[in-house]
Amino acid sequence: MTDALVVSGLSKRFGGLRAVQDLSFTVRENETLALIGPNGAGKTTSFHLITGFHRADTGSVSAFGREIVGLRPHDVCALGLARTFQVAKPFGAMTVLSNVMTGAFLRDRHVGIARDKAREAIAFVGLSRHEATAAKDLTTIDQRRLEMARALATEPRILLLDEVMAGLNPAEIDQAVALVGKLSARGLTIVIVEHVMRAIMAVARHIVVLDHGQKIAEGSPREIVENPEVIRAYLGSGYVHAPGTGDAHA
Amino acid sequence: MAVRWTIPALLLLSAIVLVLPQLVHNAFALDIFIRILLFSFIGVAWNLMGGYARQLSLGHAAYFGLGAYTSTIMQVDFSISPWIGMIAGGIVAMLASLPIGWLCFRLRGPYFTIATIATAQALMLVFLKFRDIAWGAEGTTIPNLGSSPLMMQFETKASYYYVVLGLLAIGLSITYRIEKSWMGYYLVAIGEDEDAAEAIGVNAPRIKRDIYMISAFLTALAGTFYVQYIYFIDPATAFSFNISIEAALVSIVGGIGTLWGPVIGTVLLETTSALLQSWLGSTTGGVQLTVYAMILMAVILWRPTGLMGLVSEAWQRYPGRKPAGARAAP
Repeated sequence: MTDALVVSGLSKRFGGLRAVQDLSFTVRENETLALIGPNGAGKTTSFHLITGFHRADTGSVSAFGREIVGLRPHDVCALGLARTFQVAKPFGAMTVLSNVMTGAFLRDRHVGIARDKAREAIAFVGLSRHEATAAKDLTTIDQRRLEMARALATEPRILLLDEVMAGLNPAEIDQAVALVGKLSARGLTIVIVEHVMRAIMAVARHIVVLDHGQKIAEGSPREIVENPEVIRAYLGSGYVHAPGTGDAHA
Repeated sequence: MAVRWTIPALLLLSAIVLVLPQLVHNAFALDIFIRILLFSFIGVAWNLMGGYARQLSLGHAAYFGLGAYTSTIMQVDFSISPWIGMIAGGIVAMLASLPIGWLCFRLRGPYFTIATIATAQALMLVFLKFRDIAWGAEGTTIPNLGSSPLMMQFETKASYYYVVLGLLAIGLSITYRIEKSWMGYYLVAIGEDEDAAEAIGVNAPRIKRDIYMISAFLTALAGTFYVQYIYFIDPATAFSFNISIEAALVSIVGGIGTLWGPVIGTVLLETTSALLQSWLGSTTGGVQLTVYAMILMAVILWRPTGLMGLVSEAWQRYPGRKPAGARAAP
């Protein structure tokens, strides 16, 4: 397997705050990597740095061998990196179909073709019956689905999902886990920021743990849940992972 | 859209609009019609950027004025037909929108709006000071050549009516084409959430620059027409803040980011304003402005989506129609 995304020595300061410090990790093609850590650890900032919403102070990010630090978000997307936002940002007044078509126009400006591609992406995330609904009228999970469909419509090779499971109930988390599994099965490389450990254990093959902007641990899910520093900084000493699901990879 | 209703409705509307000057010969009424068409057109031009992409400019007088001055200078100093001057004015406005946009688009929301106001005011001051090329504060009258269609001068008001009707038709068809294309989706996406749009590959700065150029070009055509219609130009008329306000207001009242919104808004506002003026203006000065302001407030309070919102809601309640819904639906 080749390296899809290589982050090396990435740093970003906001005034006196070191939001991300010397962060390095590698995601191999078709791998699902989870970025975890307490609030304020720099997970979302890392996403912003990778996708061009923030400019890194130092360090480099390469996607399939191409340096992408310094590119604008739309250029990053055109190179095949699509992302979702922690707080979903649907185009509220547009229908679900129009939202996703807007994503599809990146690869083809023809309305008919974009509509077909959008319908396919909408069906993939299971939103077909809401195609004509205004995005602002969707439930939380459906808005997340919509964001995924919109990102998918840009035909990415790497998908960055920022807390797509936050605020979902257990049944919805199962659906979301299944969806991430389906995306992976489609050949996508996925980087996921998540707090829901059950979900991470189910989808991630590799985990990077951040705390105060620094990487404190990296490894397989099993290594991570047994790492004393991760338990101290993030999971808490009471964390016992239910056996049997730790190595499940959808 | 229910095509079987829209096409006959559109044909009927076109027929009425086309024969109107043949039936109405009252100069006052024709003047109101011309103003309605003109401000509809300015509103349509503004709406492309201000409405669809939600970049609330209050500085479109800059392009109105540039269009007006370009064609007038060409006509008065070089005897070039305003028809050519009109296109030249559009190009000047388009080019001017590049540096203005480059500066203003660094700002978002109210800061953007304030910056656009400043650019129009600054241009007005430039034309006040440069007496050598543009007659300074006194302005100038356009030489009256009698009936001279090639110089955009006509003896009947009806001819002016058809010219501005043509402009409006061009503006509406450009808007329609943009709305139905990828560009329309991109504009609405930028207006809804610029970050989310960027994240799915929308080059927001470039799209905003392009639509600003189109909007400026069209606004400049209106400027040329207006000067030819009133035979006079000075900086206070050409760069009047009222032009900028009207452009935004008719769109907001009629329905921002909709094809027909600016037209509906203008019909309501201009008609009301003209009727109030003639009924109340002579007896109790100022009352007509108060009533006008109250109508505005009523629309904004109860119909924040504009009158088009009312129309489309009624349309959806129409029996036998599925609730479809949202803006930019295919």
